[in-house]
Amino acid sequence: MLATRTSSSAVRIARRSFASVSESAAGFKVAAVDNNQPTSAVTLLFKAGSRYETKPGVASALKNFAFKSTAKRSALGTVREAELYGGQLSATLTREHLALTAEFLRGDEEFFVDVLTSFATSGKFTRHEFEEYVEPTVKGDAEAAQSNPAIQAVDLAHALAFRNGLGSSLFAPSSSHITHEDVKAYAATAFAKGNVAVLGSGISQETLTKLVEKSFGSSSTTGSAPQTKNSSYFGGETRLDGHGGLQTVFIGFGVAGAPSGDLAVLNAHLSTTPSIKWSKGLSPIAASIPAGASVQTVYLPYSDASLFGFLVQAETAEGVTQAGQAAIKALKEATSGKGIAEEALKSAVAKAKFTAANAVEGREGLFTTLGGKVLQGQDANASSVTAAFDGVNASSFAKAASELVKTKPTFVAIGNTSALPYSDELGL
Amino acid sequence: MFGPLGPTLAPYINSSRSLQKWVKPIATWYANSMGYRKYGFKYDDLLIEERDDVQRALARLTPAEQYDRGFRIKRASQASVMHAPLPKESWTPESEDTRYLATHVQSVEAEDNERKMWDTMHVTRK
Repeated sequence: MLATRTSSSAVRIARRSFASVSESAAGFKVAAVDNNQPTSAVTLLFKAGSRYETKPGVASALKNFAFKSTAKRSALGTVREAELYGGQLSATLTREHLALTAEFLRGDEEFFVDVLTSFATSGKFTRHEFEEYVEPTVKGDAEAAQSNPAIQAVDLAHALAFRNGLGSSLFAPSSSHITHEDVKAYAATAFAKGNVAVLGSGISQETLTKLVEKSFGSSSTTGSAPQTKNSSYFGGETRLDGHGGLQTVFIGFGVAGAPSGDLAVLNAHLSTTPSIKWSKGLSPIAASIPAGASVQTVYLPYSDASLFGFLVQAETAEGVTQAGQAAIKALKEATSGKGIAEEALKSAVAKAKFTAANAVEGREGLFTTLGGKVLQGQDANASSVTAAFDGVNASSFAKAASELVKTKPTFVAIGNTSALPYSDELGL
Repeated sequence: MFGPLGPTLAPYINSSRSLQKWVKPIATWYANSMGYRKYGFKYDDLLIEERDDVQRALARLTPAEQYDRGFRIKRASQASVMHAPLPKESWTPESEDTRYLATHVQSVEAEDNERKMWDTMHVTRK
């Protein structure tokens, strides 16, 4: 019994990854992994995140337009039929990608792949649907983000750090005048043939390729993919009056270029999230944070840039100042000439490795982490995620960290602007 | 039984060329003698709008169409108060008497029917 179980789990480990990305005959990148789970998921990943948008907010509008009426079925029909099959449809927007996902019971793949592809190939983008269903949800998304100072701070930080491209917000500005025609034009470029990767989980590669070719094959989406220029890092400072919510400060640094393992290790070293519930953890910041304040490390790697920083929140501005000073002090210590102790580096590497490996275990993490690689035609193997940390050593870490803090900081303060600290008051 | 647009034989008549040739002059004469064109209306302005489906269809007009509709209704109300049709140059010419609302009403009706179909369907598992 034990023997069979170990052997079957070994098989499962061997199969768990997008080891091969097959380019189908029609030119679609298809990657699937089957772990014999009872449910399947298929994601259409488009290189159409907010960094590619032609008009502010159009990417967010396209996300909210997902699964509305197509030439094949109406919006209501899509919802009702998906409910009858017991599946779930969702659309997710990041700064780089737009993902249309269907999760369903094994065996229903024909219908759900058809729902996904028919939106991409024959979405109607009618004016009345835009006004009746899409606009309210776009506004709702933006308002929900506005009422959360943490989301707002990170969003503003991107605008300061990368200006255009990666800096464009995930949410539509309140002043945007997007029409259904804008969304339609953006969709025509976003859904272009070379711009999509099809990711499957719980479905075999052959089945998925066959289904995708059947429904995508006859399509006429031959537009050119949206373009963006390479990101560069700028940095800057902004202060915003907040209404309610916690006093929030974001202090960040960014670097252009493909993300390296060193920054993930720095993030793991400083991260205040303890490995055991209710403990303070080993982070050098954790001990000196005043009660009622919180410091979260934020590490956001993108395809051609990464942003690392602290999100400091507290009820009072004094709490933010103290916690912010503690965070900057720890960052300075970690990035100074002598770097961090060897033991600390080792445990940070292990923590970063675990976080990365753990993320690709789940379906969502697998799609978000490896989806971009599939889209770029890179090696999308789950083991490549942890391989990035093999080259991390004391000297490479010290070099990356000191280069990071040499850049101009990105500083965002949201809340009581008269009392919140300025970046030089935190020791930058 | 019938939607807001009422019963119509128009598709059948339009499908036959000879029938259309005979009926068209009578239809034109009848539309002119109804008198709504003398008050600057289009036929779709006369549609009964106190219904949920027509209200939804009205919301789907473009802002320009909505403005023009409001203008026609106000101008006709004024003419009614004056107990006289509009001057002849303001009458609606036959070419401008288009069904600007009918397509929206039809699509709303189709949506309502589809919703009814999904609400009352019987599901059989294979």
